[in-house]
Amino acid sequence: MLKVADLEVCVGSKKIVKNVNLSVGHNELHVIIGPNGSGKSTLLSALMGLPRVKICSGSILFNNVDITYIPPYERAKLGIALAHQNPPSIRGVKFSEIVKNMIKRCGCSDFTIMSKMLRVDDLMNRDLFVGFSGGERKRAELYLVMLQNPKLALLDEPDSGVDVESLNIIANAINSLVRRGSSVILVTHSGSILSRLERVDRVHLMFDGSIVYSGIVDEIIPLVFKYGFKGVVERIRKS
Amino acid sequence: MRDNLLEIIKKSAPIGPDIDLSKYELGEPRIHSSLNIIEEFNNITSKLGIEDTSKFSYIQINENAMYEALKNVLGNYGVKVVPLKKALEEFTYAKDLTWRLVSPETDKYTAATYLYGGELGYFIYVPPHTKVPIPIYSCLAITSNKKVQFAHNVVYVDEGSEAQVITGCLVPHGVKEGLHIGISEFYVGGNAKLTFAMIHSWAEGVHVRPRTTVNVAPGGEYVSYYVIYSPVASLQTFPTTILGSNSKTSSTSVIAGSGSGVYDVGSRVLLSGDDSSAEIISKVVATDSSEIYARSDIIAESVGRGHVECLGLLLSPNSKISSIPSITSKKPGAILSHEAAIGVIAEEELEYLMSKGFREDEAKSVLVRGFIDVDLRGLPPAIKYEIEKILDTIARSVVGI
Repeated sequence: MLKVADLEVCVGSKKIVKNVNLSVGHNELHVIIGPNGSGKSTLLSALMGLPRVKICSGSILFNNVDITYIPPYERAKLGIALAHQNPPSIRGVKFSEIVKNMIKRCGCSDFTIMSKMLRVDDLMNRDLFVGFSGGERKRAELYLVMLQNPKLALLDEPDSGVDVESLNIIANAINSLVRRGSSVILVTHSGSILSRLERVDRVHLMFDGSIVYSGIVDEIIPLVFKYGFKGVVERIRKS
Repeated sequence: MRDNLLEIIKKSAPIGPDIDLSKYELGEPRIHSSLNIIEEFNNITSKLGIEDTSKFSYIQINENAMYEALKNVLGNYGVKVVPLKKALEEFTYAKDLTWRLVSPETDKYTAATYLYGGELGYFIYVPPHTKVPIPIYSCLAITSNKKVQFAHNVVYVDEGSEAQVITGCLVPHGVKEGLHIGISEFYVGGNAKLTFAMIHSWAEGVHVRPRTTVNVAPGGEYVSYYVIYSPVASLQTFPTTILGSNSKTSSTSVIAGSGSGVYDVGSRVLLSGDDSSAEIISKVVATDSSEIYARSDIIAESVGRGHVECLGLLLSPNSKISSIPSITSKKPGAILSHEAAIGVIAEEELEYLMSKGFREDEAKSVLVRGFIDVDLRGLPPAIKYEIEKILDTIARSVVGI
C-alpha cells in the first residue's frame, strides 16, 4: 500500500529525515518509536504532504500512485489521514462544523458510534481545540481521522499527555481502525499504548532522522525500556 | 442657518475622501403611501440575505419612499413606521426628535441632507412598555447611476420597550456610481432596548456617508450590528452612542473590504452616566487593494466600563488595515481597555485543514468565517440567520469561492 524509498525531508535548510525506506501493507499496523527530535513527526508530515516540510529526495508511492509532490488534500482524497500531534486551536470554528464537513465529504455512516467511542459529543459546540484538555485534544483529533475512513492512518503520538482513561479509549479506537481494515502508522516515543493494542505488525526505531531498526515488538521494546533509545542504537550499531 | 450650511457644503469633511456633491443628481423626493414593490426590488434584496420582500416596512429607492407593509401587524402594537417627512407633518413630537442628536452643521453631508434631502428616511416609534415581537425591516436602495440618496432616519423606542430594526442598504448589479448619505438619530428610552442591524452591499463607484448618533436613557440598552461585504468607492462613518446611567451598549462590526475601496468605519461611545458600560468589537478583513481604517473610541465621563476589541485580517499584499483604538478616561474609577491585532491566516491552521481534505481556498474560507464569527446570541432568530448567511457569503467571497 505504502512504499517509501530513499526519502529525505528538510525543514528549512535542515535535513531532518535521512534516507528512509518503509513499506506498509494493507491492514498492517506499524509503530515508529524513537526519542524526541528523531524525525518521526517530520516523516509523518512528509507522508501527509504538509507544506512546512520539503521532500529533498526519494519517493512516496501510495497504492502504486506517486504522491511525493501532491498537496495534502489530494492525499486525503486518496485515503491518507493524519492525526496531528499538536492540532492548532482555531477560534470561531466549531468542532461540529469540521465534523459535519468531513462526514459529508467522506460519507462516514457510523459517526455516532465513533463519537461515543471517543467521547467527543460534549466537545461539538466548542471552538476547535480551544481550551481542550490533553485527552480531549487527542480524542477529538483521532475522531476526525476515523471520520475519514482512511486507508492509511498516520497517528502522531496519540498517547502523549493523556491520562490512563483516555489512553484506553484511544487504544480502543486504534484497534477499531485496524479491525475496519485501515493500515496504521503509529508514532510514539513513550510506548505506553503498545500493550493496549490488539496487534502490532512491525516496529521501526527511528534515531537521528533514520530508521535504524525494523522488527517485532517483543524484540525491541524490552531493550528500549532496559537501555533507552540511545543505548539500543549503540548496541544495534555494534552488532 | 441656511447661509451657514451653504458655506459648510463647500468645505471638505474632516475624515474620509472628499466628495464633490455637485456630481450627483437628486430627483424630487416622493412619498408613496403603498408599498409598490417593483419587480427589480424583488431581485436585489437577496443581496441582503433577505428573500422575502414582504417583510419590509419601509423602502426607499433613490428619492422614492414607500411604506405600509406590515403596517397592520406593527400597528397592533402601536408601532409607527412612516417616512420622516410624513411624521413631521403628522406627529408634533417628531419635530423634537429631528436634528437633535445630529446637527445639520456637522459637515457637508449633514448640511446637504438638511437642505436638499426632503426629510426622506424612516421614522419609527415604539410606544412605552411594548415588546415588538417581529423585527422591523427597512431597505434603502440606489437603482440609477450618479444618483445621490438622502435618508434621514429617526427611531424612538420609548420607555420599557424593546424593538429590533434591520436595515439593508444596497445597489443592484449594474449601478456603478452613486452617493448615499444617511443621517440616523436613535433614541432608546429608559429601560428600553433597541437592537439595530445594518447590512451594506454597495458597488465599486458608490460613496457612503452615514452620520449616526444614539442616545440611551438610564437603564436602556443599544445593541448594534454592522456588516459591509461589498466593494465601495469610499465609506466613512463614525457613529456616536451616548450612554445614560446604568445603560449599556455593544457595537459589533464586520467589515469585508474589497476592490479599491476606502472603508473608514468607527464607533464612539460616551459613558455619560454612572455605571454605564460599552463594548466595541470590530472584525476587519481586507482583500484586493482595499484600505480599511477601523476606529473605535470610548470616552468615560463617568464611572463606567468600556472595552474595545479590534481585529484585522490582511488577505492581500496590496490591501491595508489601520486599527485606531482609543480609550479616554475623565473620571477616576472608570475602567477601560482595548485590544487590537492585525494578522494573516495562520499557516499552521491552513495546513491543518488541508490535511483534513480541505482545498486551500476552502480551508481559507473556513478560517475567515471563524475569524469574522461574532456573538449573535440574543438576536432574534430571523436577524441572526440573515447575518450568518451574510458572514458565510463573506467567508466564501474573500477567498474567491
